This record gives sequence, structure tokens and C-alpha cells, in this order.
Amino acid sequence: MFAYYMHLAWRSVKRTPVISSLMILTLAVGVAVSMTMVTLQHVMSNNGLAEQNNRIYALQLNSASTGPASSTNTLKNGLPYLLSYRTAMALLDSNIPEHQIAMHRWAAAVSLQDNRVKPSKEVIRVTTKDFFALFGVPFIYGKVWDKQADYDAQYQVVLDRPTNERLFNGENSVGRSIQLNGKPYQIVGIVEEFAPQPSVQDLSQGAFGGNAGIYLPFGLHRALSMMPYGTMSCSITGDNIQFPTDPVEQYNFILQNRCFWLQYWAELPTAQSKTAFVDYVTGYYEEQRKNDFFEREFKYALSTPSEWLELNGVVSNDTRVMTWMALTFLVVCIINSIALLLAKLLRQSSEAGVRRALGASRSAIFSQNLLESGLIGILGGVLGIGFSQLGLGFVRMLVSRDEAQVVYSDAYTIAITVLLALLASMLAGCYPAWRISKTSPAQSLKSQ
Amino acid sequence: MLKMEHIAKVFRTDTVATHALRDFSLHVKAGEFVSVTGPSGAGKTTFLNIAGLLEPFDGGSYQLDGISVHGLSDSQRSKLRNEKIGFIFQGFNLIPDLNIFDNVDVPLRYRGFGRAERKRRIEDALAKVGLSARAKHLPSQLSGGQQQRAAIARALAGEPAFLLADEPTGNLDTTMARQVMELLEQINSQGTTIVMVTHDPELARRAQRNIQIVDGEVADLTLRQAV
Repeated sequence: MFAYYMHLAWRSVKRTPVISSLMILTLAVGVAVSMTMVTLQHVMSNNGLAEQNNRIYALQLNSASTGPASSTNTLKNGLPYLLSYRTAMALLDSNIPEHQIAMHRWAAAVSLQDNRVKPSKEVIRVTTKDFFALFGVPFIYGKVWDKQADYDAQYQVVLDRPTNERLFNGENSVGRSIQLNGKPYQIVGIVEEFAPQPSVQDLSQGAFGGNAGIYLPFGLHRALSMMPYGTMSCSITGDNIQFPTDPVEQYNFILQNRCFWLQYWAELPTAQSKTAFVDYVTGYYEEQRKNDFFEREFKYALSTPSEWLELNGVVSNDTRVMTWMALTFLVVCIINSIALLLAKLLRQSSEAGVRRALGASRSAIFSQNLLESGLIGILGGVLGIGFSQLGLGFVRMLVSRDEAQVVYSDAYTIAITVLLALLASMLAGCYPAWRISKTSPAQSLKSQ
Repeated sequence: MLKMEHIAKVFRTDTVATHALRDFSLHVKAGEFVSVTGPSGAGKTTFLNIAGLLEPFDGGSYQLDGISVHGLSDSQRSKLRNEKIGFIFQGFNLIPDLNIFDNVDVPLRYRGFGRAERKRRIEDALAKVGLSARAKHLPSQLSGGQQQRAAIARALAGEPAFLLADEPTGNLDTTMARQVMELLEQINSQGTTIVMVTHDPELARRAQRNIQIVDGEVADLTLRQAV
């Protein structure tokens, strides 16, 4: 009977093109507005590291100074987003985490010695070697640099697959070199692309700006006096403190002072390792507090990737409110559809009366009319996908370039769009279908 | 075939209770052709609706082909209606945007027959009423007499034991009315029980038995010779 009902539904849609089109349009607009906002929220709240929840943690410490000169970037929990160099180096000495990394963002002009590729400025991640193991980034060729490269200047580099394809057509380029700011770096490994959206591992440049295709050993930053590209804040108590203007002096300043510019992640796979690491951090903090490096009471936060996204406010309250408003709009569209569908179906009550007389049960009439609503919903959903693409295109015009790159619907949101339209139309269709199925056949026949 | 005992039907509004049928008893045997006459408002249509399981009744008992319809669920009544009863209406009640083939198909769909069986039955029914050549026509493309014959084909396709006809010639001219009446008589001669409501005394006389309803009660039962 399903095929028969669908045939009848299609016939009915064709028979009443104006009112059917209005319903399809109403649902499509409601669904498109909702799905544009749901897609936005879905993209923002996506956690590319969800599988590592409860295994890897971002660390924050209550390391801001108490004085009036404090201007530290803090998160919702009141703790600075980043760690100082001194703290990061002390934590890296611990052997409790299975893997741990300190890292920052940098940028340099990338070229090849033979000038085959046009030089371009690229985002680079300067990190300790555990980055790949901690975030589960597999190597295609070669391997990561030696541990010593985390401390000493070794001009080595790891590229990701897209960068290697662009520079070396995807060949095994291990052993070859690239130039960064005109200086050669030997390629030691090629890894798969690691570009979670949002970039959970580094949210300091917004939700989508933390991914990189080139990785350098952490030990290089001293030799190159690398100033981090991204958020940095210094929390210093005292009068007449001036931030130096000379680049090398600036670099030394941020090394020696309470300046926060390093991200720190630790892999703590068990409750015991987590407890032991907290003890280690507590001990370090209290010791440094005695030395006046920390001024505030001990506070810390170890955040899973999901908690880190939440803490960084990646899904803003505005987005949430807009999503709820869009869903409310969808409800209004559904109510409008109910009215339109009621008008349409009640016009068909005489046919329902004839069908009842010929043997259709109430449930058969209900199913037939509900399926008609479902068909309208599917058509509304398909149109809604088109409208939501327009909506997302409009959103892309409004947001930053990084964000615009990811504001696209995927198979998941497209499936949700159609399902939502179907559900909306079925909801809208329930009452009219019930009403028409309750119509007395004797009355319907009498009225003809 | 049809056995009604002391049937009562009351239509109520807030202020008025109208007794459409009171103490209404009627037996129709299998193979009979019964006409029902009576003045307007006497209860003929109410009787037909109750007989056709389109309307519930308030008192009494009703057995259709040996099955008591009292207490049946809607789906049971619908199934019984679909299998046992064929309807012929004064206004034909064909679905306007379905062609004749698809109109005749409607009750067969609810019966759950397969495609081949439905096709066979539809073609047989249309052949029986002489409309094989009009199967793909829409109702609006047919004359009144042809539409009524299509409606009769629809009623016959399910091979019901019992045909209920409500003024089947009411919208037809004399010639077409005669043709439809002859068709009904032919169907009856093949064993189908027919109950026909009519205003026309001439048509009523052609039935084997005429029942007159006045004020919701059976006023007169006249037995005639089969035509």
C-alpha cells in the first residue's frame, strides 16, 4: 500500500500545485534557516580529538600576577590560556605523562633551493617531538626528530602530506631540504594531514586558525629567537617595566619573565598517571610560589579536548541563541504548514468519504494523508538543502577566512536537513490526517 | 444476507433528538432484489448507511451475511464493507482525477489483491458494464449513464455478495435509467443481492420486493413476482 499511497500523494500534489508549493516553500525556508544555524553549530562544536577525550589534557595554571600591571589573557575559568617558557620546560622534565608537548605557532617564508616552487609564507608549528604521538598523527615516510632536537638547534623539519604534495609532488622527500626564511632544513618525516576543525590543539588564533602543515623541533626557537605568532601576554608586577623594542631582547624578555606563550598538552591515560601528574604540578607550583614566580594560590585545570573547546567558547552563546531562534522559526513554519495542509486535505474529504465507503479504514485514510505530508516534507527538505547552501554562503561572507573554509554542510547535516523536513511535515500532517480520517463517510457522501 | 432486528437510530443536537429509525426490522435473503421507497426524511438513507456499515446504530441488532456487526472495530467494519458490500450512489461518486480503470481499482487496493488479480477483475467488471473501451477515460469524459455504469463496475469488481444502490438512476435520463436498471437486474440474476433506494415507483415495482419506510419504520412490505 505504501507505493499506492505515494502515488496518490504525488497525484494530490500535482492536483493542487499552488497550495502544495506554498507548503513546500514554507517548510523549505523553515528547515533551511534551522539547518544553516545547526550546521554552523555543528561545525563549531565538532571535536576532531573526541577519541582522545579522557586521555589527553591541556594544562592551565593560576600563574598570572596579582599586581596592577597584570594583563593576562584568561579563559572562562579565570586561568591564563598559555604557560610561560619556564613552567613549560619544568613540566617537560617530568616523566609521568606518556607523551607531553610544549608548542607555539610560527610562520616563515617557505621555498626550495631550486626555486621550482613559488615562495610562500606558511604557518609553522614549533613543537616538542611527542606532538605526533600525542595527537595520533601517523608518519607516511621517515620519522620524528630525535629527543635532543627538542633542546638543541637541529635544522630538521616534518611536513604533512598536502605540503609534501605541493613541494615534492608527493614523493618520498625524506633527506631532501626546504628553505625557511632562506635557511635550509632537512626533511626527516612526512605525516598525514592533521587539521581538526576547529583546531582543538591550538585555539589561540580563533577556532580554525591553529592548524599547520610544517613542524619544526622545539629546540630551534632559542637559536632563532622565535617570537610566537599568536597570542602572548605578560603578567608582570612592578613599575617602569618596558617591553623591549629589539627583537632579540624581546625574545629574551619573554623567556625570562612571566610571559605566557606556550601551549602545553599531556597524555595521561590512567587515573593514576593523572593523579601523579597533578601532584607533580602542585609540587612545582608551590616551590615556584616560594620563589615568587607564582603569586596566586595554586589552581590548575586539566581539560580534555571537549572541555577545552567549551572553555575557549568555540560555540558562542550567540550561536546557541541563534540556533534556538531558528528552531523556533521552524515551529512557526510547521504551524503554518498545518493550516495549509488542513485546508488542502479537508477539500479532499469527499474523496476520503468515497474511499471509506469502498473499504478504506480510518487508519488507511490517516496513513494515506500522512504520507502525502511526508512527500511534501521530502520535497521541502530537498529545496531546504538548496536554501541552506545559500544561507551558508551568506554566513561565509560574514565570517573570517579561516572560519569560512569550514562552514560547509556535510553528509551528516544534509541527512539531518531531509530528516528534519520529513519530521516537520509529518508533525504538520498528523492533525489534518487525523481530522480527515475521523470524517464520517456518511456525512461526506451526503455532502456531495 | 441482511438481518436487522429492532434497529434504532437517533440523531441528537443540543436541543433536538430526531428518531431516524425506530424499531426497524428487515430481513433480506441472499439473491433478493429489494427496493426501498418512502417520502423524503423517512429514513431511507439512514437505513442504507447502517446497512452499508457507514454509520453506527443506537439499538437493535444487525447481521450481515451471518456476521453480527455490533461491536466490530473500525478496521473490521471496513474489511467487512470492502468484502461484502458494493455501493452505487446517485451522484456516482467517482474520483474525478482518476481514470475509470483506477476508479474501479480503488476497492481492490484495500482488499490487498496483487496487480494481476486486480487487472483481471477490473477488466472483467468493465466488460460486464460495457466500458472496456473507456478504461483510460476520466469520469468527466463520460456521459452520466456511462459514469453510473463505471460506478457499478467499481461496486462489482470485488465480487460482493450484496449491492446497496442509493437512487442509482436519480441523475439519469429515462433511456439511461432503463439501461442501468437492466444492468442491475442482470447482476441480480447472477446471484448478487441488491437493495435499492428509489423515489421512482416504476423502478421500485421492478424489484422482487418493495419496502416502504415512513417515519423510520417499515410501513409496507410488498412481495412481487421476480421480473
